[in-house]
Amino acid sequence: MTSQAMDNNDDSAGLIEQVQQAVDSKTPVTVSGGGSKNALGNQGATQGSDGSDGSTTLSTLAHQGIISYEPTELVVTVRAGTRMVQLNEALAAAGQMLPFEPPVFNGATIGGVLACGLSGPRRPFSGSARDYVLGTRVINGQAQDLAFGGEVMKNVAGYDVSRVQVGAWGTLGVLLDVSMKVLPAPELELTLVQHANQGDLQAFVPLVRKPLPLSGAMLIDDTRYLRLSGSEAAVRSAAAELGGDVLEDNSLWNSVRDHTHAFFRGAKQSVEGEGKTLWRIGVADFAPALELSGEWLHEWAGGQRWLLTEMPANDVYRVVAAAHGHAMRYSVGATDEPAFQPLEGAMQNLQARVRDSFDPLRLFNRGRFHPELDVSSNVEAARA
Amino acid sequence: MSADPAFVTEASSDASILSQQQAHQRIARREKAAAELSQLVDPQAVLWSIEQLRPYESDGLTAMKATPLLVVLPETIEQVQAIMRWAHSTQTPVVARGAGTGLSGGALPHEDGILLGLAKFNQILELNPEQGFARVQPGVRNLAISDAARPHGLYYAPDPSSQIACTIGGNVAENSGGVHCLKYGLTVHNVLAVTIVTIEGDLLDVGSPGHDSAGYDLMALLTGSEGMLAVVVEVRVKLLPVPPVAKLVMAAFDTVEAAGDAVGEVIAQGIIPAGLELMDKPAIQAAEAFAKCGYPTDVAALLLCELDGIEEEVNAQVAGVSKVFEQANASSLHIAATEEERLLLWKGRKSAFPAVGRLAPDYYCIDGTIPRKQLSHVLQQMEQWSAEYKLPIANVFHAGDGNLHPLIMFDAGKPGELHRTEELGSRILQLCVEVGGTVTGEHGVGMEKINEMCVQFDANTLTQFHSVKAAFDPDGLLNPGKAVPTLQRCAEFGAMHVHHGELKFPELDRF
Repeated sequence: MTSQAMDNNDDSAGLIEQVQQAVDSKTPVTVSGGGSKNALGNQGATQGSDGSDGSTTLSTLAHQGIISYEPTELVVTVRAGTRMVQLNEALAAAGQMLPFEPPVFNGATIGGVLACGLSGPRRPFSGSARDYVLGTRVINGQAQDLAFGGEVMKNVAGYDVSRVQVGAWGTLGVLLDVSMKVLPAPELELTLVQHANQGDLQAFVPLVRKPLPLSGAMLIDDTRYLRLSGSEAAVRSAAAELGGDVLEDNSLWNSVRDHTHAFFRGAKQSVEGEGKTLWRIGVADFAPALELSGEWLHEWAGGQRWLLTEMPANDVYRVVAAAHGHAMRYSVGATDEPAFQPLEGAMQNLQARVRDSFDPLRLFNRGRFHPELDVSSNVEAARA
Repeated sequence: MSADPAFVTEASSDASILSQQQAHQRIARREKAAAELSQLVDPQAVLWSIEQLRPYESDGLTAMKATPLLVVLPETIEQVQAIMRWAHSTQTPVVARGAGTGLSGGALPHEDGILLGLAKFNQILELNPEQGFARVQPGVRNLAISDAARPHGLYYAPDPSSQIACTIGGNVAENSGGVHCLKYGLTVHNVLAVTIVTIEGDLLDVGSPGHDSAGYDLMALLTGSEGMLAVVVEVRVKLLPVPPVAKLVMAAFDTVEAAGDAVGEVIAQGIIPAGLELMDKPAIQAAEAFAKCGYPTDVAALLLCELDGIEEEVNAQVAGVSKVFEQANASSLHIAATEEERLLLWKGRKSAFPAVGRLAPDYYCIDGTIPRKQLSHVLQQMEQWSAEYKLPIANVFHAGDGNLHPLIMFDAGKPGELHRTEELGSRILQLCVEVGGTVTGEHGVGMEKINEMCVQFDANTLTQFHSVKAAFDPDGLLNPGKAVPTLQRCAEFGAMHVHHGELKFPELDRF
């Protein structure tokens, strides 16, 4: 890549300028990448149907491209507007991958993936999006251009602000550039298909405590799917130990990851036609089956559970909280019920102060994430 | 490293430099605090005589000492909450301490504050092999967790060199690593949840038994926060299956550059070793003299490369790594024949610090991280400075993840030598930042590297850090003065972060 090309893809000055204008005029900002996750989260105060609050949209799409990639350092640094497809291609060309295997929704950017904190089937075995983030360059809510962490794997200088940006839904700043640790792609992957009893999650529990080269584990109806990754010798040996039908085609995992699998296509129809809701539920893999009626798909050896249901949001939140987990609405809400497990008490206050420390005017994605964190005397003061 | 008056400056609490009036006031404050805290905990758990306070004057960085107002050793979470409420209402600084093995002065007492010793929180509360986790109190030693889990075929992955003594609470505070973190990650990757007490005395559960939780990922902020944000009173760690097989390949090279290139080539082959350590000649010779572990001593660099996992995979990787080392012109190649030999070869590496300690009256350990491709440049520059300063340097390097530990040998008994050592150390850290690295990979900023933080971060970023702290601790009572320097301090230090040639801190007067 020539430096000229790089300059053309660097829109950081423009983005900082736009945030500065928003700060000066106290205008809320909707941060947008590829737009593939627009339906997720709360609608947000900044997305009012008539736009009467005067909110402005900040697109990261012109800020794109790989800034540096050194396979032998296991580090890639990219601009937030880089499309996932482009990033994955560049890594694959060097025989490497993002170990958290994020979804590649249509048009998705790496900035959006990280802002939403999304990880894929490999997550319980090799770690999450935040685990692989080493450094970020961020515009905070005062239009300051800040750099945290770096391009090295071990770095304990200052608070780990880079990782806390992951899954913050853009409410702690606008991601400009991000450095991530990458890993070699496995020599061989294959899928085992085993018969299972409906809802038999407990069978996963002993498997994930064994030194097996697992990279995926899910239960769909009465079928358990296990993915093995690693050297040919290790994968073949584990496949023989675990048993089941061997599938050399692993596209099933991407279809679940990207929500193109029949379960998710059906869910989309039920959401649109029958007013059902799709939920993503995060619990411990050993948590028992949850007392919620609907259709289930279990990923992450039971640690990530998808539920399509007619049950009201409050019931879902109550049952999931009792199981020490948290739920997130993963479809457009038919009601104004919150899209994320509500925060309460001292935890809510602390998180609101964290939000405040990055974005004191609550400009970024106001109302989109946890609206309870946006209720602030600062916001009132800003409007006054 | 021994104490030196030149080193003990603002942290000093030597009563002789206080005026008599100040000393009297201090004693009165101490007595009042002791009386009040004795209402909250067993009076025996409040230490306030000078003799009792002496052992708490420093942590692993013994060059910096301070006497706290008093030491309090609570036994229950309720007591910690009561102490924090007291500290909050009286606006008294609180410094939390585990085993005191930290190397950056993170647990250096505050002379107007209390030292909150968590040594009595030393119980493993639950070890659940079926569900793969342990719930432990913060004062449990790192190695004690793995020792308890091993009969079940499990262990806790991060293994800092001090693991026999350091506590999990301290590991959370520092985001400790270890020689196996290239493959298994740091503390932040292996701790699932913590229970914290805030400065207001609130008890909060952060993280979850699962893979994520609602709201912001406060685990990321708390891990490595050096006691600046909250006090950790319980830790839930992930336990991993013990790899069935571990093999160690030792390769010698005629130049450090060749060894560094070989490391890059291993990774280019798609192999992630469990541990990958590089030692230079002075470190090899010191370690061999100390541990008699069988290192070749006439070589420029030695690589220890450990591969672990399932037998079939390890065998394939040992073959792959050996081939890489041969092609990289290794002058010798050896695979540990037995488990005893493997452990002995590791013992040499793990005892490199004390081994170097025998070569000189004192040594100073640096903790920079650099992109690995910068290794030879950084080593050459250090060699030049070493000659210039007439201070020998031995290098141990976590080669897989770029964490460099130069050990500067010196004699604090010689006038000015400690000062020169400090200056050299600071130059090395600034070099690490210049080449794209960081001033601390795993030991923390603490008090030791507070000035170098001014080189790594600009004023706005430091201000953002202060805002994050204020979200947790609005009055700045938790471990004040550590980890993140004030802008005033950076201006006084002089070596400021220069970004795009602009001078930062324009709001401050120049000298």
